[in-house]
Amino acid sequence: MTTNQIDPEKLLPLTPAVFHVLLALAGGERHGYAIMQEVAESTEGRIKMGPGTLYGTIKRLLEARLIQESDERPDPGLDDERRRYYRLTGVGEQVVTAEARRYAGIVAMARGKRLLGGSLKAASAGN
Amino acid sequence: MSIRIVNQSLLRSQKMYERLLIAYPRSHRENYGRAMSQLFRDQGRDAWNEGRYWGLIKLWLRVLPDLIKTSIVERFSSLNERKSMFDKMAALFRPRMAPLFTFLAVFATVFVLVLTASVVITFLMPETYASTARLKVEPEQESSFSGPSSSEPVSTYDPYFIQTTFEIIKDPIVLSKVINQLNLNGDWGKRYNGGVPLDTATTMKMLKQRLSLDTIRNTRLIEITVYSEDKNEAAQIANAIVQSYRDYRVQLHNEATARGIQALQNQYQQDEMSIRQAQADLDSLRQKYNIGSGMTDPQSPQVQPYWDEKRELDQRLAFHKLLAGKIEAEKLDGQIPSAGPVEIVRQAQPGKWPVRPNKPLNIILGALAGIFLATFAGAISALIAFVVGERKRKTPAATG
Repeated sequence: MTTNQIDPEKLLPLTPAVFHVLLALAGGERHGYAIMQEVAESTEGRIKMGPGTLYGTIKRLLEARLIQESDERPDPGLDDERRRYYRLTGVGEQVVTAEARRYAGIVAMARGKRLLGGSLKAASAGN
Repeated sequence: MSIRIVNQSLLRSQKMYERLLIAYPRSHRENYGRAMSQLFRDQGRDAWNEGRYWGLIKLWLRVLPDLIKTSIVERFSSLNERKSMFDKMAALFRPRMAPLFTFLAVFATVFVLVLTASVVITFLMPETYASTARLKVEPEQESSFSGPSSSEPVSTYDPYFIQTTFEIIKDPIVLSKVINQLNLNGDWGKRYNGGVPLDTATTMKMLKQRLSLDTIRNTRLIEITVYSEDKNEAAQIANAIVQSYRDYRVQLHNEATARGIQALQNQYQQDEMSIRQAQADLDSLRQKYNIGSGMTDPQSPQVQPYWDEKRELDQRLAFHKLLAGKIEAEKLDGQIPSAGPVEIVRQAQPGKWPVRPNKPLNIILGALAGIFLATFAGAISALIAFVVGERKRKTPAATG
């Protein structure tokens, strides 16, 4: 699996765990605890990933080359040097973007059917 | 809560989680074991700050299912790197064997989950120590001053005596003194109220919840047991309650004694006045009958009223003398320190081992519950697997 051969659309839909981890890393490189905190904060505490789920997901994302381990550290003086940092690869960024667009499309569709707040006009403007 | 307890609880959780990582394949442990352990430590610290012991328990209730589920997934995925996990699962759950494998897998998963949860919760629960003091109590004797002739105190049977004693021990009249003496408002405020001292009513309520009173059957022995996470504190409180109750009873006893002596003294003074009057009357009679002058026969029936009066006066004097002796004896008794109606048979000592949680019992109950739930869940899953397998087996024949 090389980066220039992967079609991001073929990897969709992503599981919630994968999507949230990729979303967390879209904000910059992070270590496991920071990813877990980011996911918990962004979901208002609804998703609290356990170590098993988080590192199982990271393992699969590493194998799929959607993320990679970072050699550089944001500020070694401020952090535990044993922590491992991860960041999105180019493909990973494409995949999370594609998944976000897919969700946006679904949201627009739901608005169009008046399942969510907003008018048809607003929904079409959003598209 | 001291830092030592925090560190112990977190350290215990951390070690337990590290041991449970054995559930993952070796390669996964080597790559991610340390990071997972570190993440768990961070989560444990957050959980403790959030809710102390309850926070840790909630974390474990979240982490354990995650650990079991992901370890199974990782085990399957490591079985054969060439095949996907789903291929491997499909091969494993062949139609004919599916119910059996399903039962075993679900049984093992549920059993391990329930058992581990019970073990973890048991070891995370705060430990409680108990200290017991023993008292011998006697009912307050009826007044011994009913008359000088009654030399022994009168004791009546009170069927509600022990219950009344229990209520008095739990009453603010006894417990307030304990709270003030041991500064429980301040100490428990630091421990349970973020450093803000508790009000006495709250402390009293908490103290009553930690207090257990019992009686030894067919005796007047009472056991006062106090529970606390601090073994020394449990013993101190139990002894303070015993002392406070004893002081209360001794005070009552002394007050009753003082009232009795006062009553005797009043009676003594009244008797003295009546004796003086009787003495005067007797003197009048003696003069009237010329007794002692030799002019009247003392044996004459005419002077009988004199002798009657004299006999009565002699009796009164004897009674009066006895009363004076009784008052002196009671005063002396009051000056001699005594245990009074309460005797401390045994002081409370700090417990050597915690009485709660009952670890072996909890784990056995957890195992039994695990077997029950695992069997139930396994049977349901096996039934579903059987039905699905049968459908799959029949579908090709129908379409063919």
